[in-house]
Amino acid sequence: MKSLEFKVTPEVRDDSFVKEIAKMRGGENVLDCIQCGVCSGSCHARFAMDYTPMQIIKMIHLGLKEKVLSSRTIWICASCYACATRCPRNIDIPLLMSALKQMSMKSASVSEGEVKARFHKDFTEIIRKYGRIYEPELKMRLISKTDLGEIYRNTLLALRLWRRGKIKVHPVRIKGIEDLSRIFESSLKEG
Amino acid sequence: MELKYAFFPGCSLHASAEEYRMSCDRISEVLGIDLVELDDWNCCSSIDAVYAYNPEFSIFLSARNLSIAEKMGMDLVTLCSACFFTLSRANRLLSEDKRLRNNVDKALKSIGLKYDGKVKVRHYLDVLINDVGLSRVSENVKSPLKGLKVASYYGCLLIRPPEITGFDDPEHPRSMDDIVRALGADSVDYIDRIRCCGASLMVTKENVAMEMTKNILLNAKDAGADCIITPCPMCHFNLDARQHDIESRYGVEINLPVLYFTQLIGLAYSLEPEKLGLNRNCVSVEDLLKKLKST
Repeated sequence: MKSLEFKVTPEVRDDSFVKEIAKMRGGENVLDCIQCGVCSGSCHARFAMDYTPMQIIKMIHLGLKEKVLSSRTIWICASCYACATRCPRNIDIPLLMSALKQMSMKSASVSEGEVKARFHKDFTEIIRKYGRIYEPELKMRLISKTDLGEIYRNTLLALRLWRRGKIKVHPVRIKGIEDLSRIFESSLKEG
Repeated sequence: MELKYAFFPGCSLHASAEEYRMSCDRISEVLGIDLVELDDWNCCSSIDAVYAYNPEFSIFLSARNLSIAEKMGMDLVTLCSACFFTLSRANRLLSEDKRLRNNVDKALKSIGLKYDGKVKVRHYLDVLINDVGLSRVSENVKSPLKGLKVASYYGCLLIRPPEITGFDDPEHPRSMDDIVRALGADSVDYIDRIRCCGASLMVTKENVAMEMTKNILLNAKDAGADCIITPCPMCHFNLDARQHDIESRYGVEINLPVLYFTQLIGLAYSLEPEKLGLNRNCVSVEDLLKKLKST
């Protein structure tokens, strides 16, 4: 976990950032944060984050757009709602993290190695193709082609699942798939 | 009270979690619950998997299912905590956000559907507790699970956030523990029962998810559990199918069977383990079945 030791100079501050976020779903109450830390204390994934959820909100207040959008934290949030359930200021932190992910994907802040960014895109594309998720295809798209350990583990896992009848050979395509694809196209244009 | 519901299986129930569906169908027969599957349902949009990429499309995906259920005129029931949360949240967002509502209405209309916001989304566990009732769940027990120590794992989106999920306490849930006791088994307390297993990270951040899941397994084991029960195919995948990977990664022996709560109920109803899909669970349940036979 990093402490907030960087200098907040006028050059790194983007005062429009907090306003932009406050307009997004999940960001409505972001200015109400009292930095009590109950979110960070409740977070089950914070060990893997670079900044705690409370720090991320403080950084939003300070206008540190680049640092927030390139943080690891926003991709680690597992949307388990332990934080938001306890937040005394009604901040929907998982939805806020989703808003930050959207912004990060739209800007150039997301690092190329961020597999979670590809996950959201690939997951959506598979739904658009079949109407339901087909995990083997999702995993094949996302698996690291260079991490031999990951390839090995997942091959063994696939065999284990196969033996238990837990992998389907073919994806199911829903009847209304054409409708879904069309809506997807139009919502992309508007979004 | 007629126990008839529109049923949303969700993607996992057709693949890795078929045994959840099988066991649910078997106990539903015993309890007289009629689940009518939604015609041509699509993915619920899975928490923020689609939402983070395209929020409006994700709510449309949920709304298409809700619209199909609304035509059926029944509550919508699901077995998956993630589907339960995602579909309930769509309901809430559609009622709060007019702009979103208009756009989704337009999209639905263009494919000949409409949604008036009348569907109540429920988890099967809620149906058991509040519609069927614990006394009826317990009346049908043929072989009480005496001496069996069961750790209920609630995880996240079954109980949180309460304004979206609502039927159990978000900090001190008890629905599954009540069922465990109604079946004659002992409910084991342990600290990780509401901690996230990291399911939404398992495909992309294996190491993080495994660390989260490991703690749940080890703490349940330390508390003396003979098995864990779960209400969600995501938790089940992490706790059961990946248990072997967690054992090798951390050099520990866990060997803790993980059952769907519906499978546990089925065992107490003396249903054949195979009909409950127990041969599909990755961590062997043989020792558990032996223990039950010997008591």
